Amino acid sequence: MSELALRRPLMNRRYTLEVRQQMAWPWQALILTGSLIMGLLISGAILVWAGVPAGELLNEFVFLTLFDAQSLRAVLFQASPLIMVGLAGCLAFRARFWNLGLEGQMIFGAIGATAITLWEIGSPAMRLPLMVIAAMVCGLLWSVAPVLLRLKLQVNEIVSTLMLNYIAINFLLHLMYGAWKDPKDAFPYSPKYESFELLPDLANGLSLSFPIAIGTALLVLWFVSISRGGLYLRFVDKSPQVARSVGVPVARTILLAVLFSGALAGLAGLMIAAGQEGRLTHSFYVGYGFSGILIAFLARNNPIAATCAALLIATLFVAGRSLQVFYQIPFAMVQLIQAVLVICVASSDFFIRHRIRRVQMGD
Amino acid sequence: MRNLVLSACLALASFFGLANTAAAEGLTLDGPPKVAMLYISPTNDGGWTQAFDEARQRLEDELDIRIRYVESVPESASAIRPAVERFIQRGANIIIGTAFGYSDTFKSLSEEYPDVAFLNGSGTTNGPNLLSFYGRTYESQYLCGMAAGAASETGKLGFVAANPFGQVNWTINAYAMGAREMNPDATVTVVYTGAWNDPTKERSATQALIDQGADVIGQHVDTPTPQLVAQENGVYGTGHHRDFREFAPEATVCSSVWVWDRFLKAELEKIIAGNWVPRENGALLSMEEGGTDIACCGPNISEDEEARIMAAREKLMNGELDVYAGPLSDQDGNVRAAAGESIPDGELWQMDWFVDGVITQQ
Repeated sequence: MSELALRRPLMNRRYTLEVRQQMAWPWQALILTGSLIMGLLISGAILVWAGVPAGELLNEFVFLTLFDAQSLRAVLFQASPLIMVGLAGCLAFRARFWNLGLEGQMIFGAIGATAITLWEIGSPAMRLPLMVIAAMVCGLLWSVAPVLLRLKLQVNEIVSTLMLNYIAINFLLHLMYGAWKDPKDAFPYSPKYESFELLPDLANGLSLSFPIAIGTALLVLWFVSISRGGLYLRFVDKSPQVARSVGVPVARTILLAVLFSGALAGLAGLMIAAGQEGRLTHSFYVGYGFSGILIAFLARNNPIAATCAALLIATLFVAGRSLQVFYQIPFAMVQLIQAVLVICVASSDFFIRHRIRRVQMGD
Repeated sequence: MRNLVLSACLALASFFGLANTAAAEGLTLDGPPKVAMLYISPTNDGGWTQAFDEARQRLEDELDIRIRYVESVPESASAIRPAVERFIQRGANIIIGTAFGYSDTFKSLSEEYPDVAFLNGSGTTNGPNLLSFYGRTYESQYLCGMAAGAASETGKLGFVAANPFGQVNWTINAYAMGAREMNPDATVTVVYTGAWNDPTKERSATQALIDQGADVIGQHVDTPTPQLVAQENGVYGTGHHRDFREFAPEATVCSSVWVWDRFLKAELEKIIAGNWVPRENGALLSMEEGGTDIACCGPNISEDEEARIMAAREKLMNGELDVYAGPLSDQDGNVRAAAGESIPDGELWQMDWFVDGVITQQ
């Protein structure tokens, strides 16, 4: 039979698309790498079309972006809060809770940390740990209302978390232009943090943010894959109805995951205020909510994959700046390239989950 | 967000003093000047950034140098640093920023790269190789207030403003004083949108002001939306950043415009000449020094009125007119400047009071 099928003309062969149950992770990694290379080739073609010499592109751009200590540091500097919002997204989405309020939770995290600095709570040695706790508690509190509304009253969290962002943003502006403006110059940012209120630099300009982000990723990995809560979470993710009928505490599981998510977003806010800016500023949160959702989506809510995706996004940001500096191309072009790469990575998902199989005919 | 130079930063001033005695000499570039600019928005934003980009092109011609730039660099250290470090890696030795939110990052970069000259438009930090600069927008907006007062039939002016703090409030007060120069009964009703760039809010604020009877709309926000809405309603307006007759030729009677090249040309020449010592407290530029100017006058301004506005401009250009000269009281009767005195820059930055004729929610 099979000999017959082989001899059929090409056009007569039939193929079918099948859903794949499992794929070994080396294959997954290979497909992912392939799609990245595909994206880079398309991006390269766009750049060459825009007038950038092809040889130069490979030589100085790829080399300088990936193997330069300064730019590597810039990537890690940028990546830490992205990893945090990515993890925050993963946790909430695993509970089927569409947390679009990451920015609002970040804002309140940073506000909580700044309140500790302004009111000078605790000794200098205790200040930073207190700021971390305050940031997590405030981020968590800002996610309490939407999750309770959802669980008790079936209020759609997409709307409630999104709207709470605007409240948080306007409250931040109210503080920045009002009570918390820097008394030194009346400008809309908080007074500078003291040196002991900043996340310290470890060796080579690497901030403490990055190890914290990696540690958090491992903690989330433990939570979702080993802990009992993670097991419940997988039930809730697959089918809340079935989970409820087999006795999983669905409401408590969702609550736990969402509050965890809010606390991590609050910590991301602290990382920007105490790790990058050195004070509370009025627009530090911009773009992080969307990035967090994108990272969680690319990572399919896997915390380790989210860490990698956040590093990829950070590399794209830094490389995008270099592209502008080197070739004076418009920022829109940089965004186009970033979108091409993200779409390529996202569509690799299709090849991981499906396979093409030739159908035998005539038997 | 935009703006500003900070006037009194004691810590920085003392740092500057120390560095100055140690070196006793200013900054001299080694090698030919290579200039790079960082823009906060796209080059075609129609306002703040486009004004800088137009200045950049004029500077390239006048100084015969190439000036590179990156656009859309947000006000966060993680975005500013890689761009500046890349430029320096590629040999740039003069870096020009364009946002108040770059201030802290520029300060630490200027300390890490003492051989590079840093300039920051609307910044707040200064140092031995870092100069922040901004324009006294109240001067040009005083003139636009005069034009608004002249163009108005009802004497009711509206004003769409971004956020309530010093550099916006000084614009509003000057606008009202200018308007009252032409029409002593004029009032200025202010709406703060809480954002520098929010066309939706600007549209509804402008429409509300017009519905309440305002027939000239002033603005201190970044988009030309208030002028577009004024034109749609058949009333007048005054622009900010650039000449908004480009967008609303039938409505815009005057615009406060940035003329950065006038200042930057002189400052870049000083840096290139060597031994550059930036001003300790930053450069708050008067029209005389090349910060702002006006594009005037549009429709509904008589020749006589135009002559009065231009005469006032002449006085500002010569340094003969001080908008905030005393005697000056706020609308609660507190004396803000006694006769023969002026308001110091430090207090201008902190301005949170309004003169007679200004109506706000604040």
